[in-house]
Amino acid sequence: MSKPSDLIQGTLDLLILKTLSLEPKHGWAIAKRIEQVSHDALQITQGALYPALHRLEQQGWIRAAWRTTETGREAKFYELTRAGRTQLARELEQWERLSSAVAHVIDMA
Amino acid sequence: MPENQMDERRWWTVLRLRLRTMFKRRRVDEELDTELRFHLEQQTQENIALGMSAAAARESALRRLGGVTQIQEQCRDMRRTNYLDDFLLDLRYAARTLAKSPGFGVVMILTLGLSIGANSAIFSVIDGVLLKRLPYPDQKRIVRIFYSHKDFPSFPMNPFDFRDIRSRNHSFEAIAAFSHRDLQLSGQGQPVRLSGFQVTSGYFSVLGIRPERGREFEEKDEQKGNGSVVILSDRIWRSEFAAAPDIIGRKVTLDNQPFIVLGVMPPGTAHPGNEYQPVAYGDTVDVWWPFTFDGNPARRGSHYVEGIGRLKPGVTPEQGQGELNTLMAQLTREYPEAHTGWSIFAVPLHREIVGSSQRMLLVLLGAVALVLLIACANAANLMLARAASRQREIAVRSALGAPRSRLIRQMLTESMFIALLGGGLGVALAAVCVKVLVSLLPAGFPRADAIHLNPAVFAFTFLVAIGTGLLFGIAPALQTSRSDPQLNLREGGRGATGSVRHHRLRSVLVATEVSLACVLLVGAGLMLRSFVNLLREDPGFQPEHVLTASLSLPQADYKTDDAASHFYDQLLRNLSSAPGVSAAGAGSDVPWTGYDDNAGFDIEGRQPGEDFHGRYHAASPDYFRALGMPLVRGRFFTEADKKDATPALIINEAMARRYWPGVDALGRRITFQTSPKEKDWMTIVGIVGDVKDQADSSHTEPAFWWPVVQQPFASPTTSIAVRAKGDASELAGVVRDEVHKLDPTLAVADVRLMDNIADASVSTPRFAFFLIGLFAGLAIVLAAIGIYGVISYSVTQRAHELGLRVALGAQRWDVLRLVLSEGMRLAMGGVVVGVICALALARAMRSLIYEVGAADPLTFSLVALLVVGVALLACYLPARRAMLADPVVALRSE
Repeated sequence: MSKPSDLIQGTLDLLILKTLSLEPKHGWAIAKRIEQVSHDALQITQGALYPALHRLEQQGWIRAAWRTTETGREAKFYELTRAGRTQLARELEQWERLSSAVAHVIDMA
Repeated sequence: MPENQMDERRWWTVLRLRLRTMFKRRRVDEELDTELRFHLEQQTQENIALGMSAAAARESALRRLGGVTQIQEQCRDMRRTNYLDDFLLDLRYAARTLAKSPGFGVVMILTLGLSIGANSAIFSVIDGVLLKRLPYPDQKRIVRIFYSHKDFPSFPMNPFDFRDIRSRNHSFEAIAAFSHRDLQLSGQGQPVRLSGFQVTSGYFSVLGIRPERGREFEEKDEQKGNGSVVILSDRIWRSEFAAAPDIIGRKVTLDNQPFIVLGVMPPGTAHPGNEYQPVAYGDTVDVWWPFTFDGNPARRGSHYVEGIGRLKPGVTPEQGQGELNTLMAQLTREYPEAHTGWSIFAVPLHREIVGSSQRMLLVLLGAVALVLLIACANAANLMLARAASRQREIAVRSALGAPRSRLIRQMLTESMFIALLGGGLGVALAAVCVKVLVSLLPAGFPRADAIHLNPAVFAFTFLVAIGTGLLFGIAPALQTSRSDPQLNLREGGRGATGSVRHHRLRSVLVATEVSLACVLLVGAGLMLRSFVNLLREDPGFQPEHVLTASLSLPQADYKTDDAASHFYDQLLRNLSSAPGVSAAGAGSDVPWTGYDDNAGFDIEGRQPGEDFHGRYHAASPDYFRALGMPLVRGRFFTEADKKDATPALIINEAMARRYWPGVDALGRRITFQTSPKEKDWMTIVGIVGDVKDQADSSHTEPAFWWPVVQQPFASPTTSIAVRAKGDASELAGVVRDEVHKLDPTLAVADVRLMDNIADASVSTPRFAFFLIGLFAGLAIVLAAIGIYGVISYSVTQRAHELGLRVALGAQRWDVLRLVLSEGMRLAMGGVVVGVICALALARAMRSLIYEVGAADPLTFSLVALLVVGVALLACYLPARRAMLADPVVALRSE
């Protein structure tokens, strides 16, 4: 199995969960949102997004439903579950701990 | 929402999703399609909005998304059901390849099925005999209680001692004694002998079984003169009393005496059999009646009741044993004479029942496991052979990007598939084999009635099949998948390099097969040798042409010893003059029927209290002639040895050797009395040859016989032995007629040919030998298949080389020698390793072999020769093919 992108897998999960914490979105919108917010700095291979979405759904962090978009098309929308929200909090905390640690090390050096 | 509740809900969601993926596969796939298509369209529209042409926009969108098929595959991976898909695919593939080469499939499934079936059958015996719980509640707390002496390692108790131990102990919830004693039921049509046990109160409490109707015996029932009571088995209640509901309190006639029915046991009430006297196993007891006894409590030399007890909850067998030791010490202080040299021990009931069979069953399990290992090696070998011819296919698949793990998984699926088919066949075979095995089991084999195919056996078979599939599949799978696709593709499937490695692995496998087969053959050989020894050894009497039967005279009708003697006198006289009879005798027992009553005595002129003892029997004048026991010195009993004549005694050579070494025992006198009067001395008038105590041991304990008319303690049953001039089985009717002419109310029981008794008593070694022999046969056939497979493959591979050799002038014999020597190298290697292993393992068999050293050189060399011979034969066919091959064809086929 090829690696999803340059992003560490866990990071992609975090980004998806964070993106979905505002409102339910479909796959393309999630990709767009991540690119926009990161000012295109995080160019994710769009393809890698879907396996990640399916995995998160299988783990019960997010759930999917078919809804109609503003343009009247059927699309698969993902939203956070309650368990997903807890999971997001947990991952954020972990991420913060990691990044502050890394920042600390860099400052010290 | 609390965390755990949330988690629970999450798991439900996960489960629902998994199931949906598994069972609505098409729907899920369609959704994924739609999802990705939607993504592409969105991206395309965005690209168009940015000013691209429609075609360029779509192309760019596709590029940004990446390979759609790959994404789909990855999504499926994420859904975790790919394994199942692959598995089904592999399974279908395995079935197809198997169907394509049916010969391969048949050989694989048959050999595996045979060996798995043999394992299941032996396992079901082990499960029934060793693993299944005894049919008593809380069976772990039940122990058998024995006395022990250096000459009698496990011996019955003395009833007075039993009574004292019962009243003094604090470790046992209940403790009971019993003794086998049959009763004759009459007044219900034809008289029948019922298999009966005399038991003390508490017997059923020890076992934890209550009468279905009525009540158990109480201690007052043990006193003589309180009236006779009896408890019936469910079977007798139904068969003899038509399941009468008013049976309790009814009067029945047993041994021509009135008994009151006290209770009826539930169906299937099993008596805990034992090894000392292999009596009833399973539902074989008909009646229980109270054990009564009297006599002088100061005389405790006579041991004839079996002890059994149920420990209190929380009391360990060791604690129980500890208290028994204390009580024994007390008894020894109180009655030193009767207890010196004796100890007491408690053994868990389960161990007592299955003890001696355990070793044999485990050896059998070991043997059958070896067969399975050989079959595994064989199967691995065949798999490798086939993998070699599929090298190219595998190379192509690996070149097309199949990862190695995927290839291994596929090949393992295939071997599992084959192994499970073999397991299925094995279960079918085991179903048949178990029936045959149980019918072959030696008579009185403990717990034979508990042997069935059951879920435990099925589970065992399934696990064995899975294990087998893994075992024989893993090596070929690793080996084959390791090959370099480039090389194999280039070589056009002939695979010189890969096949060298293959070939080496296959040679090792075959050598292993040969050595395992060697081990089994050595085992079988040792058992055959010991079995032959057993049959060839002189039993000490002549069992041919002898018919035996047993009678018990009801005390109500034969009140005095004279009445009984008169009856037997008359019967033997009539029998002796009956046509076809050459001699007729009566005695306490006949050889090899479990009789083991012993007594201590004093010898005239020796220190009293010294340890003299022997097994006592009674015999009529013609008893020895009827059984064919040789007179060594002196005389047999005669009509002159009457009740009031000088007490006469015949002893065996073992007794003469033990107590009168180097001197003549004839004319010596012994007594049972502590202060003997002149009439208490018994004079030795004859010495007879030794009869082996048991058919499968060469040992003979000291034994002596007194005339039936003079016996101090009459045995409850009398055995009749009749020697025929011709066919003994024709005398059965004669014996019955003669008995009924004298007393039509007597039941004639245990009518058997002495030949059959002798035969039955070697049935355990024969059973073990038969099975080990069967397994060894299977093993050598498997090994031969293995050798044949490897050598014929090698001949095919070397066809070109061999052709070249012949073309260059090698003689055909050289080719033959070349091929044969390759096979011989395998066989020799296997034999050497096998013999070393067998030497190490044969010691485990020591208890099963008889009068043969575990390192018997004859057996070992014959086995080695046999294996090499079979290997030669297996190599010969391919070697001949190589020798006769046309070199031109071989060369051209390149």
